[in-house]
Amino acid sequence: MEPLTWFGAYATGFGSLLAIAITIAVICGLCAMLLSLTSSSTSGSFSLFNGIAVVVLMIVGFSYVYATVTGGAGGGLDSGSLGKILALLLGLALFAAMLGYFMNTFFDDPAATMGYVFVLALKVIGLLVAAWLVWTLLFAGAGFRDYVAGLDPDTMPDAETLAAEKRIAVMQGRGIIASIFMRFMPVWTSLALLFTVSMFYKRKLGLYGKLYDNIIGMIGFGLVMFWVFTAFYSGFFEMIATHGALDQASGMKNKLPGTPLRGAEAHEYPFYLLGGDNLARDVFSRMVMGSGIVILIAPLATLFAFMVGITLGLPAGYFSGPALNSVKSYGAIATAAVFAVIVVYTLATSGFMNALIFATVLGIMFALLFKTTLDTALSFLANLILAFPVILLFYLLVTPEIVKTGLPQYMAVVLFAFPMIFVGVLLHSRLRTQPAKNKLWLSVWLIPMFLLYMSTINTAGSKIDFWPLDFFDIPGGILVVFVSVVFVNSPTVFRIVRGLALDINSRDYVAAAQTRGEGPWYIMLWEILPNARGPLIVDFCLRIGYTTILLGTLGFFGLGLPPESPDWGSTINDGRKLLMIYPHPALPPAFALLSLVLGLNLLADGLREESLKD
Amino acid sequence: MSKIHDYDGPILEIDKLSISFFTRLREIPAVMDFSVKVAPGEAVGLVGESGCGKSTVALGVMRDLGKNGRIVGGSIKFKGRDMEKMDADELRGIRGNEIAMIYQEPMASLNPAMKIGAQLMEVPMIHEGVSETEAYNRALEVVTDVKLPDPKRMLSSYPHQLSGGQQQRIVIAMALMSKPSLLILDEPTTALDVTVEAAVVELVKDLGKKYGTSMLFISHNLGLVLETCDRICVMYSGEAVERGDIETVFNNMQHPYTQALFRSIPLPGADKNSRPLVAIPGNFPLPHERPKGCNFGPRCDYYEEGQCDEGFIPMHPADSAGDHETRCLKFKEIDWNAPLEIGEQKTKGEIGKVVLKMDNLKKYYEVAANALFGGAETRVVKANETLSFEAHESETLAIVGESGCGKSTFAKVLMGLETATDGEILLDGENIEGTAIEHRDTKTVADIQMVFQNPFDTLNPSMTVGRQIVRALEIFGVGDSDEARRERMLHLLDLVKLPRAFADRMPRQLSGGQKQRVGIARAFAGDARIVVADEPVSALDVSVQAAVTDLLMEIQREHKTTLLFISHDLSIVRYLSDRVMVMYLGHVVELGTTDDIFSPPYHPYTEALLSAVPIADTKIEKQHIVLEGDIPSAMNPPSGCPFQTRCRWKDNVPDGLCDKEVPQVKDLGNGHEIKCHLDDKTLKTMEPVIKLAQEAAE
Repeated sequence: MEPLTWFGAYATGFGSLLAIAITIAVICGLCAMLLSLTSSSTSGSFSLFNGIAVVVLMIVGFSYVYATVTGGAGGGLDSGSLGKILALLLGLALFAAMLGYFMNTFFDDPAATMGYVFVLALKVIGLLVAAWLVWTLLFAGAGFRDYVAGLDPDTMPDAETLAAEKRIAVMQGRGIIASIFMRFMPVWTSLALLFTVSMFYKRKLGLYGKLYDNIIGMIGFGLVMFWVFTAFYSGFFEMIATHGALDQASGMKNKLPGTPLRGAEAHEYPFYLLGGDNLARDVFSRMVMGSGIVILIAPLATLFAFMVGITLGLPAGYFSGPALNSVKSYGAIATAAVFAVIVVYTLATSGFMNALIFATVLGIMFALLFKTTLDTALSFLANLILAFPVILLFYLLVTPEIVKTGLPQYMAVVLFAFPMIFVGVLLHSRLRTQPAKNKLWLSVWLIPMFLLYMSTINTAGSKIDFWPLDFFDIPGGILVVFVSVVFVNSPTVFRIVRGLALDINSRDYVAAAQTRGEGPWYIMLWEILPNARGPLIVDFCLRIGYTTILLGTLGFFGLGLPPESPDWGSTINDGRKLLMIYPHPALPPAFALLSLVLGLNLLADGLREESLKD
Repeated sequence: MSKIHDYDGPILEIDKLSISFFTRLREIPAVMDFSVKVAPGEAVGLVGESGCGKSTVALGVMRDLGKNGRIVGGSIKFKGRDMEKMDADELRGIRGNEIAMIYQEPMASLNPAMKIGAQLMEVPMIHEGVSETEAYNRALEVVTDVKLPDPKRMLSSYPHQLSGGQQQRIVIAMALMSKPSLLILDEPTTALDVTVEAAVVELVKDLGKKYGTSMLFISHNLGLVLETCDRICVMYSGEAVERGDIETVFNNMQHPYTQALFRSIPLPGADKNSRPLVAIPGNFPLPHERPKGCNFGPRCDYYEEGQCDEGFIPMHPADSAGDHETRCLKFKEIDWNAPLEIGEQKTKGEIGKVVLKMDNLKKYYEVAANALFGGAETRVVKANETLSFEAHESETLAIVGESGCGKSTFAKVLMGLETATDGEILLDGENIEGTAIEHRDTKTVADIQMVFQNPFDTLNPSMTVGRQIVRALEIFGVGDSDEARRERMLHLLDLVKLPRAFADRMPRQLSGGQKQRVGIARAFAGDARIVVADEPVSALDVSVQAAVTDLLMEIQREHKTTLLFISHDLSIVRYLSDRVMVMYLGHVVELGTTDDIFSPPYHPYTEALLSAVPIADTKIEKQHIVLEGDIPSAMNPPSGCPFQTRCRWKDNVPDGLCDKEVPQVKDLGNGHEIKCHLDDKTLKTMEPVIKLAQEAAE
């Protein structure tokens, strides 16, 4: 069986055409960039930044195309062709520079002209790709029809064999890219539906609707939703991925993209679309499956970090003024007692040095709490966490000895309690004047949350195992990852929220609430928090991106998640080892990670820009 | 960069200028068909309410309209040269060099990370390339010119080390550094206190004469423009509606908007009961919702269908010389001298029993240098010193004073946000001075409510108007069910004359005046008996001020509310208050009925305050008293009388008593109390600060 080519069997010459178009785009892009560097005119819509971004993208795209054109079917990048590409690009840049100066004598505003040609070339590339896609998808089965027509009716194989042959022939007609495109069909459909509906109602959708006025935000949102849908369909319906994340096939070790599966059964997908990794697993499927882990953990962990950050940051900002001296009496004694118990316990279990460290930190905390303000104390704590190297913290938390002490679980007990506290205080502060309503709402929200909380922290056979109603267990690795990500992220959120609260604190509507006798938590949660939402939403998007990278980092170091997990960090790390010989297993998860984080950043940019407009 | 020399014509000629801003949805015309000429050495005032486009004109002249603003028609000529045709380099040479601009917020126009001297020296060094020493000398000269004490020290200090008034003087000095031909002042004194404002205005006038600079003076304050300008241009909703010589426009106005504007500001002679202010009906039209024809049409008393709404109205010359122009079709038919129709005369509410009594109230703050380790000395800020007064039912007591005089602290203590250091506050005979708000019962909290200054800040932007009022009702325990509270909320909206549909609106959909009405409705949610109104109208436009003031008065009449009206605007205080309390640095310096306060004998501070308030009436003659220096810091008050550092009567007191002792409160009869060392004889010699011109002539 022939391997798949990148562009399919019916697109002869398409690769060359695309290469020409991309070359023109690169030359014009470089020219425009260089010209806008040299001329003082600002009339061209082409800035240096755009230029650089385009060039970087072009290098990536171009290298693939170049490899395809020169290397033929299933071409990847080897180190030799990489050198050639770099040399070619350098030549192109020089050529562009010369052309740029030459152009100066011909056009009034060569930068603008070049920018125009560049945009035109981009459009041509877009059109070419679209035309190729339509063409390929329409005619992918044409060859097979001819083949069947030319068959002798006597030797016609049975329908089953024919169907299997047709399937393979169609795929070969499509090539790798179009086949991947087809695998993602549910995602495309959902995206198209989402965008059409949202565009239609965008004036009624508030900030989310405004996003559709911003091309950057739309692209970002599209990228993010692409991975969200991918995770959804692959996680719940087992669509998109072609093979199991752990399925190994004989003879597929480190095979190039498009390699046919030897002796594939009828129900199996007959190709490894993006090749096999060094354990002969399908790279494409693992990349798709990996999205599920990221898409699930990153936003959820960020949400928890926000709960912690908000619940602590609001009082820090709100009570920043007067010292908490009034707590001197019982609060101080209770706190001192708790701190003393901790120190004594440490002394008994882990030696003098540890106890000394604890005593110092807790002593400072106590002094800050009861001699200065809540703000100073909490900020001190946040800075303490921020000052600690993140990776080292992760290594500490996942060390088996530490896990055995139950520390991550105890941290989960504390961190996971914050959403409950948050919701409880939120409801109670608002409804406290209407006791009946208050009870109803609190029980509707808090009872399910409490059950969920207990199920989460209670794990059979661990340190915390006493709660009878345990609905589910969270795998130890995931819990550790989750806890560490929340722990590391919440101090930053805390600082943002504190700053916003400090600012909004001086508004008259806060004073108005105070003068009508509102409690502090009502003011914090209903008067201050809603008005801090703009920056918080933007930061939420950005922070999911950071968390995604953090998860990648954790996976890359093999921390927390099991080694066979298909998450992007782990797969990049696996692929890294043979990168110079077989780049194809490492690149897809890397691009997946890049595109998701890029999407989140673009989305945050778009949201920020739109929220600033009237 | 050299200057454009040898030009005799007008410095600035704006001809039929139109400026639009382009937003996502539509083009918003900000200025339309605007023309003005500024002759050399002349000061032209640009007056109008917020949103009328006066600042846009200034930015248009500077060609600094931002990304989405564009000049869509007309021309701006500076010294005969069309600014449209200048390129970026030429414009840079003109900005800050030939045309200088002074903005409203002095702190925002100075770079906080640069020393004053460096910022000033930058101007001639960039524009004229002079040496550092010369630039320094020039800076020193200019700083001396703007009458700042100790110029050398000023030059080596950072902006945050100066007071607001000093900062604004520095901004003026910076504008003068390059000896510009045109100075654009965009509300230069709005952020300053009245007495400081008076000094800055005085300075600007003097400097204008000294340097021969032309000025474009943008302000919403008619009185200020009268004091500073030669000619005036009144703007409404993006258009100039009347233009002419300042005396002519003030005495012989030819546009209904100008007339309505004058009727809505409290001039001496207005009275809340017998001759109330006339608010301009309706609202300022949004730029994209302007009516056809005359923009003022829908709010105009003389509006005539078929004539006023028939398309574009050009400027008409209103006198033979053509110097006075108006954008009104009917100006010839209108009888401009017709007396103001006085609406219903209101009967004054009967002043009842004492509701609130303050006795020797003191509020000190301790400022510790280092809280964590105790150590260091603690300094005491005496925000309120021996505050004593009584407030009666349905009485308006005005509390007058400049920033830092302790009026906000007093409000905080009264509201229970702070507890008093010493003294008593009696509400219906019960002590509340030591009870913080969380320990007060609902009734007490609901009884004392507050109306805030800034309408854009007083409502929570992310809650509907109705929800915010209902919340107050919930807290005050009004109504048994959600329906009952909603009903009551709708009644409150009726009370403040807002349509009931506003209940479901978000605050951003409301105008400033409407927001302030919601704030008032919220304050009256629990039937408040004492309302502290902290400058409730100072941030509103003139035409809206009148309406909101009237509303407060009407509610007061109905509910017998005690109104504590905090303000620095003496015109409005004179208009609506029954009694006035003047505060300075935490002390009550004078307390008495409105008539007593506004006529001699005065406390020296009251006298200066009265003189500082600009009055938009050409018939008024004012005694000119300019206070030297700034208000001392409450952290470090002067010894003896708090006002002695700025008092002009100080020499009349023997033995330097003013430096040594805080004066005793002196009763001049009729409850008129004054805290001054001056003896009765000297006090009697005081002359009234404000006189009608005829009176003076007689």
